[in-house]
Amino acid sequence: MKKRRWFINLLKEEKWLNDRLAEGYACQRVGRLGGYTFGPSSRKMVIRLDYRNRMSAEKYEEYKLTYADFGWTLLKGNRWGSVQYWQKPSDGRDEIFSDAGSLVAFYKRLTQYALSTACLFFIYAYVVFKGNIITALFNIKASYLTEGLWQMEGNSFWRAFLFETPFAMLRFLPTWIFAICFLTFLYSYYQYDKQKKKYA
Amino acid sequence: MKHPLLPLSETMHYILLSLKEPLHGYAIMQTVEQISAGTVSLAAGTLYGAVENLSKHRWIEPVPGETGRRKVYRITQEGQRILEIERSRIEHLLSLYETRDPHEKT
Repeated sequence: MKKRRWFINLLKEEKWLNDRLAEGYACQRVGRLGGYTFGPSSRKMVIRLDYRNRMSAEKYEEYKLTYADFGWTLLKGNRWGSVQYWQKPSDGRDEIFSDAGSLVAFYKRLTQYALSTACLFFIYAYVVFKGNIITALFNIKASYLTEGLWQMEGNSFWRAFLFETPFAMLRFLPTWIFAICFLTFLYSYYQYDKQKKKYA
Repeated sequence: MKHPLLPLSETMHYILLSLKEPLHGYAIMQTVEQISAGTVSLAAGTLYGAVENLSKHRWIEPVPGETGRRKVYRITQEGQRILEIERSRIEHLLSLYETRDPHEKT
């Protein structure tokens, strides 16, 4: 069974994955662009998502070995600052963090990741649109460059309008995508921060 | 100023005590579970983070010459010193438990 989903919030992704596993599946593969492959499983499985900052090859080896010794299988992850997907058969020891200190540290890594990604989107949009983000967002008309387009009438207007729409979309959609990514990462930041305060 | 890791968390405390003998990651978890009479079950992420933190402060260190894939750790002199500080803190607390017991005042 293949499913395609796109998550920005790690906690929601983990919950969604575990809901699928609860239906009697095991996750076999986590693809690059939100593609998840599941297969039927006779054992109840559990998935935990960890987030780790960039670490040395030696450290990452030790990290993976430690988790593997506890029965976890790495579905996806790398050492360059990424989400680590861990799965194991459920046996009552299904958590990857067992004290408040390590949970706070985990949520702290997540807040830093969400906030820095949000900032990157903002800076990128700011540079690309030369500071005119609001104009780029709401002045969609300006994305149409055909001269005199808005003075045309009837059929000739619609023909010119529809012809240019795909090109205009290339101009105004990126701003919307940047804006939406910026806001969702910012929203995730607040949700992680809320979790962090629960344990701190 | 007091060290940011002091007083030791239960996790750190048990790991330092377990590393009076050289152990690798999973064996630390098993030893801690045993010496805590089953009350402290370390999870993988917590153990990894604690070991990383303790080595960063040089309270534990990898045993040189171990060739296996798994790093074997043991407590350092500095780690022993930290345990001594903790010992006097806890002994003082314990003495307060004795002298400030309301039942004994009567």
